[in-house]
Amino acid sequence: MIRTVKPKNARSKRALKDRESKMVENVKQALFVPGQTSTKLLHDVMVDLSAMKKPDIKRFDKKNNIRPFEDPAPLEFFSEKNDCSLIVLATSSKKRKNNLTFVRTFGYRIYDMIELLIAENYKLLSDFRKQTFAIGIKPLFSFQGSAFDTHPVYKHVKSLFLDFFRGTTTDLQDVAGLQFVISVTIQGDFQDGEPLPNVLFRVYKLKTYRSEQGGRKLPRVELEETGPRLDFKIGRIHSPSAEMEKDALKKAKQLEMKAPKNVETDLMGDKLGRIHMGKQELGKMQTRKMKGLKSKFDQTDNDVEDYINDDEEELNKEINGKEEGDDTYGEDYVTATEIEEEEPAAKRHKK
Amino acid sequence: MSTKDYKSLPVTVEKPIPVTYDLGNLAVFDSNVVDRNDVDSSNGKREQNIRSLTRDNVQLLINQILSLPIKTTTESAGGTGNQSASMTLIQLPGPTTELPREKPLPKPKAPTKWELFAAKKGIKPKERAGKMVYDEEAGEWVPKWGYKGANKKLDDQWLVEIDDKVKNTEDELVDPRTLNRAQRKELVKKNQRQQKKNMRNSGVSK
Repeated sequence: MIRTVKPKNARSKRALKDRESKMVENVKQALFVPGQTSTKLLHDVMVDLSAMKKPDIKRFDKKNNIRPFEDPAPLEFFSEKNDCSLIVLATSSKKRKNNLTFVRTFGYRIYDMIELLIAENYKLLSDFRKQTFAIGIKPLFSFQGSAFDTHPVYKHVKSLFLDFFRGTTTDLQDVAGLQFVISVTIQGDFQDGEPLPNVLFRVYKLKTYRSEQGGRKLPRVELEETGPRLDFKIGRIHSPSAEMEKDALKKAKQLEMKAPKNVETDLMGDKLGRIHMGKQELGKMQTRKMKGLKSKFDQTDNDVEDYINDDEEELNKEINGKEEGDDTYGEDYVTATEIEEEEPAAKRHKK
Repeated sequence: MSTKDYKSLPVTVEKPIPVTYDLGNLAVFDSNVVDRNDVDSSNGKREQNIRSLTRDNVQLLINQILSLPIKTTTESAGGTGNQSASMTLIQLPGPTTELPREKPLPKPKAPTKWELFAAKKGIKPKERAGKMVYDEEAGEWVPKWGYKGANKKLDDQWLVEIDDKVKNTEDELVDPRTLNRAQRKELVKKNQRQQKKNMRNSGVSK
């Protein structure tokens, strides 16, 4: 455990706050650690891998005597100290030559580990002599092989590479940012009992050409290899405990999207919405406005009739006569205040 | 190949098993059979095979991505190199592949002693009317507390009435202005004590 001191200034306070667990998490930081037996090749591979992951990386220069499958405590310490949840440890021995151990941590504890041994036919970024990666670009991923969905080891590999290189999660992606592809292929299909085939890690640059067939929208895609080209042989594996896996895959309830109510799609794919209307009150409905329908002309109580002048009364009689005496006017009554307000208007009308 | 050749090439790819996508992570998953001989290290055309396999999948992925809804903004991206002022952004759906979190979900804040009490008694928080109150004497809005706050009114009066409660006690001769100030300070201290106690009870060590 690392001693936590109360932050003394605002900057360190912010930095500590940034480390706390969050609803929407920071990008996972990767830590590259050379083991005691690391080699020049492993160093170069780590440089290449970190070039793809930049800027979310830390790279150690000094060698560390760590055996993660025997005692993972130093890695957990590094994880907490550097706030990195992805660790790559480079070791090489007679039995496991050119070995990269990919470790993921959850809450500064080891989540899972996998050993990927680099096979002979590697080719580094510098061997291709192509341009390097722009910093902070989100890569595309392409996974080839059915075992990525079925076999636990390859599921682990898929999850690891996605987690490692995906960078920031965003809902808006710049078209110009679609620059390179990480392709992970299983070297052939296999049956149970056979040795696990290698995982082929390739990185390509995307080139798009305008195509006649795709119209204006869809381009023809071509690829150009930029490296690194690595063939990984699978070594030892440490899987997460069921309990930890459950905890790590938990989703925040607050972030879940609520299913929209009363909207459904029918068999034809048409979107249907159900609207609940309030009670329709026809009595209060606004119809066409006419002078004769003004409330001051309403036939109401006796005291109101005093204000109506005789001509109008006669008019009203005429109208009522035509409509066979049907009293359509005086449903509503006028309050005293309304009449007071309207009096001046009536006077003007007389002039 | 020159660019003319690319024009006639197809932009669609047929697969025996349709590929699946995770567009939030810009990923495509192809579960079709990979022929072992095609990608064996003894095969001279190995790299070409892998590249064409990837190309087909990336073509499918790009077709999917570019058919997503597009949003154009005039905010510049900065150092992308092109001089155009507008950017074409693709609206991606959320990632679908389950990846482990880095740290456990944040725990909800532990309720304070007051919050527990209020919940038990069914006390609702007071509606906040804002920090400013109207000072009728001065005819302007002043803050309830803080710099030139309404709670410091007594401090700069030239004449202060002595409270009946204080009469005939030892506090009688103490300046009421300083008394008022001391009370305020004591309230702040009390609140800090309560805060500390709540923190200790909730298990936060700070």
